[in-house]
Amino acid sequence: MPASYEEAITLAGDLHARPAGALAVAAAQFSSAVSLTVGASSADAKSVLGVMGLGATCGQHVTVTAEGPDAHEAVAAIIAILAEATRVGA
Amino acid sequence: MSLDARVGIVLVSHSAALADGAAELAAQVSGGTVAIIPAGGTDDGRLGTSAAKVERALKLADGGAGVVIVPDLGSAVLTVRALLGEPGDLPTPVEVADAPFVEGVVAATVAAAGGANIKAVLAAAEEARHARKL
Repeated sequence: MPASYEEAITLAGDLHARPAGALAVAAAQFSSAVSLTVGASSADAKSVLGVMGLGATCGQHVTVTAEGPDAHEAVAAIIAILAEATRVGA
Repeated sequence: MSLDARVGIVLVSHSAALADGAAELAAQVSGGTVAIIPAGGTDDGRLGTSAAKVERALKLADGGAGVVIVPDLGSAVLTVRALLGEPGDLPTPVEVADAPFVEGVVAATVAAAGGANIKAVLAAAEEARHARKL
């Protein structure tokens, strides 16, 4: 049965194009469906344009949700990228 | 999986500067693991398109998994279609994306970097038609 897993992070910086690309490339390595939610907007984490279209900025709360056999690993990987990529000075 | 050949991307623009810049941007966003070859301008450096440049770009972009071409405006499509319609030793498969230039190139390149096959890379480029930026 596919597992569902979710974790949230508060961004330490804006989510720019380059981290959005890294995030989409990383999400594509998992078979689980992965989505990001910011406020009322959601995007497929595997779609770089969708992720950039969220316009997520410093201080916003991003929820990463995955559903599938590798949901836990997928969420951990995406959270790590969000933490690193939006770190101030990164 | 990460050792598989990536789909290559060719940018066909009337402007060499536009093709070069879009390729540079897409390489940055996608992490630099995909062959993104610009084919912009005429052979003598004017605004326009060149079948010879596109042909060279296709050969450079091909890593064995096929190539997706993203054209900028109408007559770039005509140049590409005319080239693909001629017999020759071009790489296969080759697909032409009906997509906005910058968004299409970025979406296609990121999909290719993620290991997507040529149909999925083409679909990523064409979904860019519906992506909102605001």
